[in-house]
Amino acid sequence: MAIYNKHVKIGSRAMAAEGINNGMIKAAEKDDRIIAVLEDMGFPGVGWFKENAPERVIECGIAEANGAVVAAALAAEGFIPFIHSFAFAAVSRAYNQIRQSILQDRFNVKILGREGAWGEPGISHNHIEIIGATRVMPNLVIVNPADTVEAEKCMMAIADYIGPVFLKIESSPPPLRIFTEDYPFDIGRACMVKDGKDATIIATGYMLTEAVLASELLEKDGIDVRIINMSTLKPLDNEAVIKAAEETGAIVTAENASIIGGLGEAVATVLSENMPAPLIRVGIEDEFSQSGRITPETDELKAHFGLGAEDVALSVKECIAKREALKKRK
Amino acid sequence: MAHDEELIRDLEKKANIVRRNIFTIFDASQMGHAGGTMSLVELVTTLYFHHLKIDPQNCDWPERDRVVLSKAHCCEAIYAVLVELGVLPEETLSTYYCYRSPLQGHADRWCTPGIDYSGGSLGQGLSFAAGMALAEKLKVLRQPPSEGIVKFMPRYISRYNPLYRSYCILGDGECHEGQVWEAAMFSAKYKLDNLITIVDYNKFSLDGPTNEVMQIEPFVDKWKAFGWWVAEINGHNLREIADVLDLTSNLYGDGKPKCIIAHTVKGYGVPSWEQAHTHIARGEEITRGVIEGRAKYGHI
Repeated sequence: MAIYNKHVKIGSRAMAAEGINNGMIKAAEKDDRIIAVLEDMGFPGVGWFKENAPERVIECGIAEANGAVVAAALAAEGFIPFIHSFAFAAVSRAYNQIRQSILQDRFNVKILGREGAWGEPGISHNHIEIIGATRVMPNLVIVNPADTVEAEKCMMAIADYIGPVFLKIESSPPPLRIFTEDYPFDIGRACMVKDGKDATIIATGYMLTEAVLASELLEKDGIDVRIINMSTLKPLDNEAVIKAAEETGAIVTAENASIIGGLGEAVATVLSENMPAPLIRVGIEDEFSQSGRITPETDELKAHFGLGAEDVALSVKECIAKREALKKRK
Repeated sequence: MAHDEELIRDLEKKANIVRRNIFTIFDASQMGHAGGTMSLVELVTTLYFHHLKIDPQNCDWPERDRVVLSKAHCCEAIYAVLVELGVLPEETLSTYYCYRSPLQGHADRWCTPGIDYSGGSLGQGLSFAAGMALAEKLKVLRQPPSEGIVKFMPRYISRYNPLYRSYCILGDGECHEGQVWEAAMFSAKYKLDNLITIVDYNKFSLDGPTNEVMQIEPFVDKWKAFGWWVAEINGHNLREIADVLDLTSNLYGDGKPKCIIAHTVKGYGVPSWEQAHTHIARGEEITRGVIEGRAKYGHI
């Protein structure tokens, strides 16, 4: 039986969006500087805003470039605007606006980007390159919560943090409930979900669910993996990565996004500069997504991209084999 | 409304000082956005030395009027004004484009006191100015009435002044950007009557005549169709500029954002730049322009 961190209790599946909604309302109740900037894509907790503080709802329509810069100006005037839309719209459509009008002056704007790395909407909406596209932007903090509990805590934390943040909301499929209500979340700190000695899986967002399932599969084969939840993609918790490499010697990263520019590359940089160790990046290869149905029985795109627990488990075994092969060469 | 001769004479003097400061900047940097900077001189002079509610001693005064230079490549004109206001020391004029200088290549809020917006990538400034205007409305909503500015406007409009106004300076070529029109829609929707946009309509963008590069006409009708109050003026006539700016203040309370289309001449005041519709001047072109300008407006 696996021994998890004391703040972990694996439960049933629940949409992370629920946590986002709750967190948004709690943060907005606490701080009246928070403004909801809508881009005709709804807003977490919008019902609360409309009922309790309708003047704090700014609807920009389907004009994300304008929305991003209006939010920047609101932040310049001391408000804390939250923008919400699909990531391809809120971030990529307004990339240059975010760069110049928000990040250059480090304005306190929070961008909530809905991103179904896989799912029904297809190639346009499954914006798999978003992590790489945002990681290169100076002054931007990037978070990608793994479950509904973390999503709620994450919302509260980014509201308190002073500076621009991009939060990736993963739409589907729903992740397992992983953390307990007393789980302490800090921006920039990775959480060791489960200790292990044979290898480490570093996962972000939804892929923590697959990592947990993979570790259960591996346990049956007698392999004891460490699982790290890397919910902050920037700044990365370098120490957690270095320690994992030092203590387990084989790293597998798992992300629900392109492996180019994503978590895997970030971890690779830390490893090669500090503690070289064999690494396998599980994620989406250099290709666009497409539509794929998700039902309780099947997940067409998860199978297509090779992002399931079996795939992660296989990569762990491969990575361990790599490490052993390297040892022999020495 | 009519402004006395003395004010106009004072503004003329200030405009010449601003021009001389610009020549000092260009002389030292040997490069600059000469055309679009010279076409702005009278507009920014009147704005800063007659119209704006600002405190040069306290650039972060929360109730100061905001100025967003959306065509941020023409920041030389604003730097020249800030030096004359005493916000920036005169020595900085020779540091344009230099490392760690407050005179960055494009206006930068971090580096330069008195700059409200970091621009460069065109078409975003109006959104920012609109956001600041909207913030003013939100702030007033949260203030107990007695704490707001309670100075009454002229008798025919019994409205309070806004806490501050938001001014945006757009280029004409910049209006090719779709975002300008997103912001125009947004400003009308939120009835931002505390937002005043001045378009420096100097008729030329980098590749040629603005309306040939991409037609923006019928320009006045466009703004009107977007729900704005629009005025057209000669952007080099100090009296017209002062009149229209003061009129926009008096119209506060009508629920409409204001657009002032200022017809200007690119490179105004420097014959060789006017003739060539100079965008960026370098080397020989800038040296000749500075000599011509100094011959006309004097040396510091």
